[in-house]
Amino acid sequence: MNRYFGFTLALLAIQNDLFAAEAGMPQLDPKYWASQAFWLILVFSILYISLAKFYLPKIKNNLDNRENKIKDDLEDANKFKELSETKIKEYEKIIEEAKKQVIKIHIESKNRLDKDIQTKKESIEKEIEKEIINAQKEISDLKKNSISDIQKISENIASNIIETISGDKLNESSLKAVIEDMSKKNLGKYL
Amino acid sequence: MASNPMQQFSVHKIGPEIKIAGIDLSFTNASLFMVLSASIILLFLSLGTKEKKIVPTKIQLIAEMFYTFVAKMISDTAGSKAKPYFPFIFSLFMFVLFCNMVGMLPYSFTVTSHIIVTLIMALFIFISVTVIGFVKHGFKYLSIFVPSGVPSVLLPLITVIEIISYLSRPISLSVRLFANMMAGHTMLKVFGGFVISLGLLGGWLPLGFSVALTGLEILVAFLQAYVFAILTCIYLNDALNLHH
Repeated sequence: MNRYFGFTLALLAIQNDLFAAEAGMPQLDPKYWASQAFWLILVFSILYISLAKFYLPKIKNNLDNRENKIKDDLEDANKFKELSETKIKEYEKIIEEAKKQVIKIHIESKNRLDKDIQTKKESIEKEIEKEIINAQKEISDLKKNSISDIQKISENIASNIIETISGDKLNESSLKAVIEDMSKKNLGKYL
Repeated sequence: MASNPMQQFSVHKIGPEIKIAGIDLSFTNASLFMVLSASIILLFLSLGTKEKKIVPTKIQLIAEMFYTFVAKMISDTAGSKAKPYFPFIFSLFMFVLFCNMVGMLPYSFTVTSHIIVTLIMALFIFISVTVIGFVKHGFKYLSIFVPSGVPSVLLPLITVIEIISYLSRPISLSVRLFANMMAGHTMLKVFGGFVISLGLLGGWLPLGFSVALTGLEILVAFLQAYVFAILTCIYLNDALNLHH
């Protein structure tokens, strides 16, 4: 900047007539110095007072308001964040408990089912045993009956055969004794 | 030359002559442009503070940017102790800036291109800062002339230099602003005169210079206002926080 100043001064120096009384540097003419000083002080004082008392507090107020609003909003956001975090924790707790309950219910129902199955199995097994015993009894009855039946049939067949072959009627009691004897020897093999 | 480049700085009376106790306090074109600049500042700030929105309007945003700009400048250079002087430095910055900027308009008058105006401001700052320094620190304030860590042989010399540099503060502060504004406007006028005298054939080069210089001068107008304000802050810092 000082270069420009120097340049200007040089220019002014070349132009001799610029330093004529009315044409020199008007800044150095003291005629209106007092006036300029007076008006500067007056205007600047008015400007200063109106700025300091009126406009600057307004701007400051507004800036502070904004800052406070931002701070409040941030605080609110933090509060809500904390709230949501506690809610999430509660929710997780509930889920965990529910999971535990589920496991408990699962185990309980499994146990109950197992017991049920066991009892049913037992009762069915008992029934089956009974049935088996009955069936065995029937079979053994049938066996017993069948032995006498077979003996009878054998006697009849034997007497018939002997009758047809010899034409004589045999002594029934001796025949019976023989068949009984034979059946005792052989029937065991088949029944 | 078509017209005198210094013509633009001449002060002339507007309206009736006002004389108080034999001193001529007439309203002049300089006074007119002081009033105009201050009015523009007040108008701008009243528009900027008309609405108090959380999300600012454009003009509100600009007003708040000026506020925070100056507030940051003060807190960076002079610390928190300088807060009570914020309105003064803000007013000073705005006044110098708007006087400079209004002076950039063609046919206008640049208030800050007058040494008497800048000198009064600089003297006021100088005296205020000195008074603040003595009020805050008493006679210990004189210790700013005696920097620490200087060999005792050099101390008398350094002290003399410090005193001279302290006393030349108002001169350097006022001449810096006045000379910058005057030089810039004179340059613009000189190149403008060249455009006319060289005519259609040769006038294009100085015209280009004029355009470039106008841009430069707008920068200088802002920069000098900033420098004026920040130097005030630095002087205030010396008075508030005695470092030596």
